[in-house]
Order: sequence, then C-alpha cells, then structure tokens
Amino acid sequence: MSLAIETKKLTKSYKTKGGGRLDVVKELDLQVEAGEIYGFLGPNGAGKTTTIKMLLGIIEATDGEALVLGKEAGDIEVHRELSYLPEKPYYYEHMTGLEIMEFYSSLFGKRDTEKCKALLERVNLANDMNRTINQYSKGMQQRVGLAQSLLNDPKLLFLDEPTGGLDPIAHIEVRDLILEFREEGKTVFISSHELSDVERICDRVAIINKGEIVQQGKLDVLLAGSRVELTADSVPAGIADGFKAMEDTTVSFKQGRLIMDMPDSSETNGILDAIRTAGGTIISFVPRRARLEDLFLESVSADNKVKGRKMGRMTIKDLEAEEAPLEEVKE
Amino acid sequence: MKNRKLGFAIIAAVAVAQGLFQSFVINPFWAKNYARTTGDISSLSPDQLLASLAGFREMVAGILWVRADSFFDQGNYDAILPIMRLVTILDPKQIDVYATGMWHIGYNFTDEESRSDRRYLPSAIAFGQEGSKNNPNTYELFFETGWIWYHKIDDNYDRAVKWLEEAMKRPDMQSARKNLFFRALVRDGQIERAGEHLFTLLEESEKEIGDKDDREVEFGARNNRDTREKNLDNHLIRMVSRGWLAQQRGDYAQGEYDTKPPFDVGFTAKVTVTRNRIMNVVGTWNVLPVGTRVRIILRDAEYPDAILGGVEWDANADVALDPPRNLTYMQDQLFVRDRRFNKTIDMSRDPTMYPFSSENYLIEFYYSPRSAPDHIQDKFGFNGEGLTDKRFLNKEARPGHSVIYTAIPITRDQILRQGEWDTRTPTFTTEGYQERGVGDMRDNIIQVPGLRAEGSN
Amino acid sequence: MNVIINIARTTIGEAIRRRVLLVILLIGVLFVAIAPGLSVLSARQELTVLKSLTLGIIQLTSAVIAIVLTVYLIPNEIERRTIYTILSKPVRRWQFLIGKYLGAIGALGLMMTLMTVTLVVVFWVMKPQETTVTVLRELTLGPLMFYVQMCLLAAVSVFFSTFTQPIINFFLSGGTYLVGSLFSSVLKTISENKDLPLAFKAVAIFIQNALPNFEYFNIQNPLINPGQQIQNEGLHYLNLAFYAVAYITALLVGGILIFDKREV
Repeated sequence: MSLAIETKKLTKSYKTKGGGRLDVVKELDLQVEAGEIYGFLGPNGAGKTTTIKMLLGIIEATDGEALVLGKEAGDIEVHRELSYLPEKPYYYEHMTGLEIMEFYSSLFGKRDTEKCKALLERVNLANDMNRTINQYSKGMQQRVGLAQSLLNDPKLLFLDEPTGGLDPIAHIEVRDLILEFREEGKTVFISSHELSDVERICDRVAIINKGEIVQQGKLDVLLAGSRVELTADSVPAGIADGFKAMEDTTVSFKQGRLIMDMPDSSETNGILDAIRTAGGTIISFVPRRARLEDLFLESVSADNKVKGRKMGRMTIKDLEAEEAPLEEVKE
Repeated sequence: MKNRKLGFAIIAAVAVAQGLFQSFVINPFWAKNYARTTGDISSLSPDQLLASLAGFREMVAGILWVRADSFFDQGNYDAILPIMRLVTILDPKQIDVYATGMWHIGYNFTDEESRSDRRYLPSAIAFGQEGSKNNPNTYELFFETGWIWYHKIDDNYDRAVKWLEEAMKRPDMQSARKNLFFRALVRDGQIERAGEHLFTLLEESEKEIGDKDDREVEFGARNNRDTREKNLDNHLIRMVSRGWLAQQRGDYAQGEYDTKPPFDVGFTAKVTVTRNRIMNVVGTWNVLPVGTRVRIILRDAEYPDAILGGVEWDANADVALDPPRNLTYMQDQLFVRDRRFNKTIDMSRDPTMYPFSSENYLIEFYYSPRSAPDHIQDKFGFNGEGLTDKRFLNKEARPGHSVIYTAIPITRDQILRQGEWDTRTPTFTTEGYQERGVGDMRDNIIQVPGLRAEGSN
Repeated sequence: MNVIINIARTTIGEAIRRRVLLVILLIGVLFVAIAPGLSVLSARQELTVLKSLTLGIIQLTSAVIAIVLTVYLIPNEIERRTIYTILSKPVRRWQFLIGKYLGAIGALGLMMTLMTVTLVVVFWVMKPQETTVTVLRELTLGPLMFYVQMCLLAAVSVFFSTFTQPIINFFLSGGTYLVGSLFSSVLKTISENKDLPLAFKAVAIFIQNALPNFEYFNIQNPLINPGQQIQNEGLHYLNLAFYAVAYITALLVGGILIFDKREV
C-alpha cells in the first residue's frame, strides 16, 4: 500500500516572548496509508490544526519534511487532488448553498453547476440549495462544507473537527458520509479532540499531545482486549470467597450470582473449570476491550506526568500562552 | 510568487520610476493647475485642517467670511486678519477676500489722527501677490495690487505700472480701469508710452462705439471715449508745453517752455517736539496755488529696506499680517497754504503704532513732482525739470527725476521728552529757516500760462 | 485569471452587503442630497459652494469606505477560516490577494457610482438651468479622479493588511492618506523656510517622493472655480492614472511578498 501522507521529523516552532522557543509540533513522524481513515487525536492546542496546515502548505514547516500524495506539501498541483474542511468553517453568508458550491467549483478553473447540485443532493441539501447560508443550521453548514470538499473528487480529505458543535443526529449523518468516503477508496484524515464517534470509524489513530505523538497504531491493536467479564449463577459462597483473594480482580457476589472482572490471563480457564465443578452455571464470558477514551486519557495523562506538565484539559490561558507567540523560528 | 527577487526588483523599479515621474511630470503640472493650499497650513487648527482636507474648503471659507463681516461691523479689525488669512488658505479663489483684505490691511489700520499704519504695507502687497498668483486668470487682483502701489504707496511707480500691465493682459479687465494705466505711466516717467496707450484706448473706444446710433451706445461707453479723447488731447499738449518733446529732440535749451526757468520752491522747515510724542512742524514752500503736499516721515533710523523718503515696501513682502511691532514708521503730508505749512502731529495716543523702542530716529521731508497735480506739474515738468531748490534739490533719491529731500536725525529721548529733554524743548530747523517767509510775493508765485496759449511747437 | 475574477466577484457581493459600509454610504448619499440646503450658510457663490461641498462629501465618504472596506478584507477571511478552504484549492496566494483587491475596488466603484448619480440628480433637480454639459462633465470627472485616488488608498490598505491588525491598519492607512493629501503643501512650507537644515529638507523631499501623493487626484480646484484654461488636461489625467497604476502595482507586489510568507 502506498502512503497518502508521510512526514519525517516534521517540526513547527515559534519564538516565545522571552527569547525561547516553543515547539507546537515536534519531530512528527506520520504514515497515513492510502484508503484508510486516519484519526489524528489530541486535546485542544496539541498541534493538530498546525500539522494539517503544514500538510496543506498554508504554513511552512520549521524543520523536517512532509510528503502529501507523493509530492512536497504545498505543491499547488496536489491541491487538485485533496480537500480540506476547516474546523467550524464560515461561508459567505449572503450566498446560497448552490452559489457557494459554484464559487468553490470555479476555483478549480471551471464552474460545474450540475456537479454542485449532485453533491448538495448527496449531503441531503437538495431542497435547501437556493436558501442563503445564514438561514442554514450548523449541521447544514457542515454538510455544505463536506459537499464542497468533494467538488474535485479528492483522493485525500482533511477534516478538522468535522463534528464539532453538531447535535447527535448531525454527528451520525457526518459519520455515515465519512464511511462512504472509505467505500469510495478515499483517504480521510480526521483531526478531533472528541472521541465517541471517531472511535467507531477510524482504521488507525495517532494520539498527539503537546506536539508529539504519544501513541500510534491500528485501533484494534491499541484497544486489544486486556480484561474479561464473567457472570455465573448458582455459585457456592465458598468458591466465590476464594476468588476475592485474587490480584487485580473485582468480585461481586450475591445469592449465588457472581460477577467478576479480571485480567485476561492463563488463570481464566482454571476459574471457569472451578465454577462448573462446584455446580455453578456460566451465564456469560465476555472479553472487554478498552475504550478509546481510556486509551486517550491514559496516553495523555501519562505523557503529562512524565513531563511534569499540567494534567487534564487545557484552559484558554494555556492555549494563549502557547499560541500567542507568532514569530516563526527560521532554521 | 516563486521568484521573490523579481518581486523586489519590480518594487524597486516602480518606486524609482514613480518618484521621478511624480517629481518631474505630475508635480509641476499639478502645482500649476490644481494646487489648492497656498500658504502655511500650520496656521490652521486641527478641525479646520480636517475640514479643508475633507474638501469642504469653499464652504468653510464662506462661513468664516460671513463671520468676518460681523467683525467689520464692530470695527474689530484685528480679529479679521486671521480669518482673512484662513479664508484665503482654504479658498484661494475667493477674489473678494483678497481684494477686501488688501484694502483693509493697507488702509484700515490707522492711528487716532487717521494716519494709516504703513508697517502693514508689505503684508498688503504680499496678499496681492499671493492672490494674483492664485487667480492668474482674472485681472482683479493685479489691478488691486497696482492700485495699492499707485494710490496708497504713491511712490516707486514702476511697480504700479508692472501690476497694471499684468491686469491689462487679462481679457476681463474693465475698460474704464484701463485709464489708470495711463496715469501710472506718466508718474513713472514713461511719457511716450502713456500717449501710445491713450491712442490705443481711444481706438478701442471708437471701435466699440463704431457706426452705432447714439441711442444704441451706453452712456458709460461714450463718456469713456470722451475722457480718453480729452486725456490724449491734454497729454499731447503737455508733452509740448512742458518741453518733453524738445528734450527728446535735444533742443530744450533753445525753446520757451512752461517749465523754464526752474522754479525755486524755497523749502525750509522747523520741527519742535512740544510734548512727549507730539511735534509741531512749520515751514515754507513758495508755491501759491493749492495742491502741494510735502511728505513727512518719522521712522527708525535703521528701518529695514528704507530709501530716501520711503521704503521699498515689497523688498521683504510676506503675508505675516503682523507688522514689525518694535519699529516705528509715521508718514503724513504737510499741506501748503499761503506758501507755508503748519502741522501738529500727535503720536501720543497710539503707543502700539509708535513704540519708539530704538535710540535713533530720522525725520524726512520729501517732495516728488511726479505725484503733483497737473496744474503744478505743468510748471515742474514730468520729471521735475522746472523744479529747483537752493538747498534741498536731490537728483539721486529716485532715478529719472528730481525731488526735494532733506532729513533731520532725532533721538528717542527728544521725541519722548525724557532725560535731559525733560525740560528743554527739542527744536530742529533746516538750513536757511527763517521765522517769517521772506522775499517778493510776486517772484515766488508760480505763473502757469494757459495750456493752449503758448509753446514753441 | 478565472480564479481571480471569481474571488473578486464574491468579494464584491460580500462588500456591498456589509452593513457598516452601507450605513456610511447612506450617510454620504444623504449629505449629497441635502447639500443644497447647507450651501446657503456660506457667503461664496452658491454653485461654487455646492460643487465644493458635494465633491468634498463624496471624497470623504469614499475614503472612509475604502479604508473600512479594505482593512478587514484579509483579516476577515482568516478569522472566518474561509481563506483555508480557498487556499486548499488550487489557488495561489497572489491570486487570492489580487482577487480580493479587485473585488474591493469593484465594490468601491459601485458605491461611488451611486453617490455620483445622486450628485447629478441633485444638480439636475435643484439647478436645472446651471446643469450644463460642462457642469455634468465636472460632476463626473471629479468623482472619477477620486475613484483613482481611492483605488490607490485601497492598495495602501491592502498592503498594510498583509501584516497588521485591522485597527492599526485603520490608523496607518488613514494617516498615510492624510499625509499624502497634505504633504505637498507642508513640503512647500518646509522648502521655503530658509532656517531649516538641508538634511531636514532632504528627508521631506524623500517622504514626498516615497509616499503616495493623494493630493494629485484632487482636481476639484478648476472644477469648482471655472474659467481656468488647462492645457493638455487629458494627458495629465492619463499620467495620474499611470502613476496610480504603477504605485498600486508596487504596493500589491509588496503585499504579495509579505503575504506569501505570512502565517495565516
């Protein structure tokens, strides 16, 4: 499989007021394969949007290299084959949905009204395309955004917080569209600080914090089952009490009903045998996969602990402290 | 833009090209035809500056001028000057303001005895210079400036000629006003040209009237024609009777002319400082017919640009509208009656106009035959050929003609009657002064023959 | 080229709907309409004052519109993130900048046309006798040269907007306009002052030649005060247009060079 995006030690630094240097993105190595949905995750201010802007050539990297669809980032020809949906985009309010589409279509050199209409239909805006944008709901605006990002039938889509600020129904609509993109063989690069919906559709994710990747890999590997949950009935009290002494195990026992949460280890089979032997009935035995939230929080907080940084979600103040310095470091 | 060097090269090239282009092509043309502000805009207050920048200049100027008018009514002349300045800066095409302004500056600042403050004259002239420069397409301000020279300054007539000549070049010059140019030429000693000018004017009038019936011709036009004809007539006769033609031919010495022999005016004077800043001037001038005014000046000994009996008023003319307040310049006329003059000049009530802040002053007496009325000039001639004085004839004070001139130095203490002059009365007499006029009455009276009665040609 | 025109068209569409601009425009149009009532306050000949006043209103209004319109031209795009959508298409930055500039002067042209039409109508209604072909020519020539002036001002403002905040740009552009409109008079005063050192004068002359000279486009003088014959008038207007285009080119190239390197 070829790589849609490849970065090597991609770095973006700014000078701070005190004369120091702040790495917003630090030595980033990314490999996004063609045709996959890639989740680029991290808290606000982690450097996600900065990375996307570098990949689009909107800002210049301080160091390192980035290849997009095999060409250097920022190559204007590559822009014919990719598209970008910025976070909470705003469109010229006085224009209708169709006019917006025609405008963006014209930026590719020619105005293709039929295609514009078809795309609006695809995002369920066929009935609203002659209304002006200021009459659209947020979800509708986001769908216009998605429609315009498909104008050039791109091979690669950058979606920055594609579900940000949308209601749950809109979430699902957007998610389904992204899944359709995968069906069509497009590479989708999703940046998000939200997890619940992305978790379900990403093939691979990278977790970025403070400009550095803390975890990267296939979602099912990262989330590989580590614990099991066992439910059994008619279990004698003596056996249940014996399990309570086990390490790293939660045991709940009431009137013969046993629920256990334990590591998926070599001892599991022995436990199952012991329950059956004692006359108990196994009702369920479920391997429990870690949730993306857990993975995310674990990775980020571990990273913060290691570096002695502040825990948890960043505050506006933190963001300002990091984004204020605008002067770029020239290497 | 891939090629940044190309970008910088374009900027550099355009920057240099536009600089040269605007300096040598646009600016000269613009300055000539479109420039609006003329003077020092730093005299504008910020709101006025903004208003003028915004292009409401004519409007603001008009409103200010209305305000100035109310100050005229109140006699608050000082308040008018800055407004006038402002109006002309804002709207340099306001001819009325320039014209009124010049007249106002030149004539309206007077002392208690109605002597105008001549220290303002450079401002008045500068106002005229500026106004005419800003309005080169109309004769008006050229004429007004010429008028100030001809009438108010009444000296250096070449300037009056110069300005009126400029006015004459403008097509809108009023017909009747062209006659003044003739007067100016005569006073400047350009006698032949004055005649030619009258011929031209007469021709112009004739053409205007043409073969038209009397009823079709305006009274003014006919009157103007008649005036021109009369003037030309008189001028031609005077050129003969005053011996001017003979002078040109070179046989003036042989003929009999009204200007021969030169008449001795017998000028003497006595100045007495009677009290602080008050002086009495008496003296003799043996001309019986009325119409003689002898100029008297009391000024700083070191008055800038001073000449004998006057000042080169345009030497440093600028629109300061602020006279040199530490200098003193008094000018008046001594009117001769019964061959004597006697005038008391009181400068005590106008300390700002007569500050007397220097040590040394000069009293000057000056008489030019060029300024004399016709009936006296008939004797003295165009250039003072018929004028003489045993003591004070001066042929150097002004080029081309003789004048009577003398000066008496005087100190501040004497004028102010202070120090040793507190009790002593300062009295000055010119050479030859006698308390009573002497000599035979008949000898000393100018006898001018009838204009058409005599003359050798 | 197609891309530039499309960006320009969209910019016009947006600009003529911006409320703040419409309010300024409305005030301008209103003042032009009531100008005949105001001009009686002044002692000068009525036609002169009326022409001066209305042309002044148009100039002032246009300058305010030109600055307000252009200082937000680029920053608004960045703030709303529309610029990212556009720049992620095959659009180069210089195309974007020039498209925005052309759109701005296009919108300005429409607004100034509206004011000029109002002006002509006002004259036609209030002074039917005086509204001759000559006066009509004056009433359109004045605003036309103002328009060239405003195009230059817009370029100044676009140039500044590639590296400053709108509020700073507002004062920078406004200041440049003020200095550029007054400097030749100041320079005259400076160069005629004998007391100033030569170096000071040299600096003044440099500034005069470096800054755009907006005053050249104020041609009201002969328009307001007729009776002045100007030789080769047309050539001068061509020169002015050439000067403006040259200066605008330099400003836009400079703006592009900065904008190209700018982080958005």
